[in-house]
Amino acid sequence: MMTQIVFYVFAAVLVLSATMVVCARNPVHSVLFLILAFFNAAGLFLIAGAEFLAMTLVIVYVGAVAVLFLFVVMMLDVRFAQMREGVQRYAPIGAAVGGVLLVELIMAFTHWRVAGNIGQITHLVPSSPTRTNTAALGDVLYTHYIFLFQTCALVLLVAMIGAIVLTLRDRPTGRRQNIDRQHDRIPQESLEMLQVPLGAGVAAQGGFLRPHDSYDVAAVPGTYGTEAWRAREAAEQTQTALVVITPAQGAKGQDDE
Amino acid sequence: MNSAIEGIGLAPYLSVGAILLVLGVFGIFLNRKNVIIILMSIELILLSANINFVAFSAATGDLSGQVMTLFVLTIAAAESAIGLAIVTVYFRNRGSIEVDDITMMKG
Amino acid sequence: MNWTLALPEIVLALSGLAILLAGVMQKRGQAFFSCAMMTLLAFVVTGVLVVISPDGTGYSHVFINDGFARFMKVLSLTGAALSLVLSVGYAREMEIDKFEFPVLILFSTLGAMIMASSGNLMTLFVGLELSSLSIYILCAFARDRVGAAEAGLKYFVLGSLASGILLYGISLAYGFAGTLEYAGLQQAVRGSAVLPAGLMVGIVFVLVGLCFKLSMVPFHMWTPDVYQGAPTSVTAYMAGAPKIAAFAVLLRVMAGPFGSMTPQWQLLIEVVSALSMVFGSLAAIPQGNIKRLMAYSSIGHMGYAMIGMAAGTAEGTRGTLVYLVTYLFMNVGAFAGIVAMRRNGRAVTRISDLAGLGRTDPGMALAMAIFMFSMAGAPPLAGFFGKLMVFYAAINAHLYALAAIGIVSSVIGAYYYIRIVKVMFFDTAVPALDRSPVSVSFVSVGMGLVTVFFVVGLGPVATAAQAAASALFR
Repeated sequence: MMTQIVFYVFAAVLVLSATMVVCARNPVHSVLFLILAFFNAAGLFLIAGAEFLAMTLVIVYVGAVAVLFLFVVMMLDVRFAQMREGVQRYAPIGAAVGGVLLVELIMAFTHWRVAGNIGQITHLVPSSPTRTNTAALGDVLYTHYIFLFQTCALVLLVAMIGAIVLTLRDRPTGRRQNIDRQHDRIPQESLEMLQVPLGAGVAAQGGFLRPHDSYDVAAVPGTYGTEAWRAREAAEQTQTALVVITPAQGAKGQDDE
Repeated sequence: MNSAIEGIGLAPYLSVGAILLVLGVFGIFLNRKNVIIILMSIELILLSANINFVAFSAATGDLSGQVMTLFVLTIAAAESAIGLAIVTVYFRNRGSIEVDDITMMKG
Repeated sequence: MNWTLALPEIVLALSGLAILLAGVMQKRGQAFFSCAMMTLLAFVVTGVLVVISPDGTGYSHVFINDGFARFMKVLSLTGAALSLVLSVGYAREMEIDKFEFPVLILFSTLGAMIMASSGNLMTLFVGLELSSLSIYILCAFARDRVGAAEAGLKYFVLGSLASGILLYGISLAYGFAGTLEYAGLQQAVRGSAVLPAGLMVGIVFVLVGLCFKLSMVPFHMWTPDVYQGAPTSVTAYMAGAPKIAAFAVLLRVMAGPFGSMTPQWQLLIEVVSALSMVFGSLAAIPQGNIKRLMAYSSIGHMGYAMIGMAAGTAEGTRGTLVYLVTYLFMNVGAFAGIVAMRRNGRAVTRISDLAGLGRTDPGMALAMAIFMFSMAGAPPLAGFFGKLMVFYAAINAHLYALAAIGIVSSVIGAYYYIRIVKVMFFDTAVPALDRSPVSVSFVSVGMGLVTVFFVVGLGPVATAAQAAASALFR
């Protein structure tokens, strides 16, 4: 009885928060409701006895995916006020499609039956009834499913390559370090030892100065602030004085490629 | 069969899964103006399949459904990373994340 | 456990990692060419390993290697290698000259190979996602072009929706049998007198997901936009290896686990096939952009290839496989022509840009004409034999209406293919296109020869396809 109450509480909150994910006016609220939805789904997993998956769901989704969503929502400077204008137009179609699908599915599920000969089919069961869920999953994950486990690793690698190749940009204004050069520096290159007479201060000797070109030697050639960059900027300024600056990168025609 | 799911039955689990699936599909139709909510709707669809897998796994005592859920969680994380990267690229080019703006290529 | 069964996949995956490392080590901007060459080498090595790989089931029924898997893998590798060659010539102009590009093509092909060898619905899904996620990135790869970003976003949203639907369908099939293995599912379906409605919903969802990847009508909405927006060599890739892999799993799942319930799903496949053929022919007629035209053309071709599957027999499967072989070659050849369409260094994609090509560049015009006639199904070119075999299988399986629709729509389709030939040879000339690089000409000439002399190789291809099909229906 207690389990049933807990189940229906989790299920109700899950469905409500999923509705709010779809309908919320502010995408930040949507992300927060998504987190709530995943917490409750983890609760349902727990009731079904899938403890490891419940914890993974919380860690992976709340810890990583939802934060990623939140990050992107915050990063993209979108005006959310205008965003809801088109909703009314599509709501009836969406509701119709969704309603029909839901009714059909529930009708199909009320009399769910498994295969008649399910007893003859080989199942993958925990090695002993007392084996915990996590251990039982580990037993099969690295033996039966090692091939798929490794393939999933490749999927993650592809995601990593994709995120880097699509979003990493070399900003010309970034002050990137030349790490090898920095490690190779010795005090004689960067420090000038002055013999300062007592009471005279350093003004007589020209004051404390950064060694000439100290930034140029440590920075990646051509990046912001270096000699080459300054020369290029100066050259570009004389050029762009005459031409019209194109407004955006997006101005390129879609017909070429 | 797991004792807890025995008390509840399979049908409530499957119904929750079906509702989530429908909400996800509905969200994709509804939010033509905001791609990020569309991505979240896709996450809901994957979650609905996961609930089915876990429920069936508990009902039949077979572990492969839970392993599948684990793989789906991995792939869903990868998918949302790629999706958000593509949204970022799109935003940089267009200055908006409205799907309705994708009208340059029609016909 | 016989882990060497998956040796081609393992070698390909490891070479992918090695090429990634090699690309990182090299200087930026110079790594593309060497990485592309290494990827081609990896494809060739993997292809040889696939051909000599033994039959069997490995990794606890997760992985199946048989004649069918080998056939599909060789086909996917060929398609991927040819489209990679196409991308080498114009990498800089297409803004895809980063070393990640060949690596992503490699991983996508690896996903396609895993799909072809799937012995378990889990393998199907993981392989499909490895393949699809790479393609989403490849579509948006030219990230500073509006068209590419839109294509990537559109394909991503609709593709993920399709994957979600497919996954939901898989979950229902799992609930019925309590296992994800094809063998267990087959046993469960055969042994049950009454099949629940939920299982039917599951099968339909799986079909919908795969039909989306194949861009069958009515799940084709994304195809024209994505084909047009993505870089041309990515489009050439998308029209090849991933479709072959999707066909591989569709044929395997429908012949294996759900083979004993053919009457239940046959009508659905017939309808989808007929709609795709008719729609592909009609919607292509008003197109002015050649990449969009190729999108509708590929929708139609997938419809023809599916006729063989609708037959539900080994003979029909053989027809589908031969059709896919001919489709791959003429498609890559046509895309070689489209990649080479450049004027003053800028890509042009209007059909009218081809006007007068017969005089300004007779060689390329001849090659394009061969591919267009072959796609229209004119004898004795490759496309004719593919169509002949699927129609023959359909008639033997008493699908007369489907065969008739196929013949009528290929007559309609001939109109727009021949229109391109007319534009090339009889319209007033516009300024000549740029000379194409050696790699593109190489693909174009090679595919042209294959298309013209396909009749010579028809015997061996048909024998191999027969062996592959009988491995499936054993």
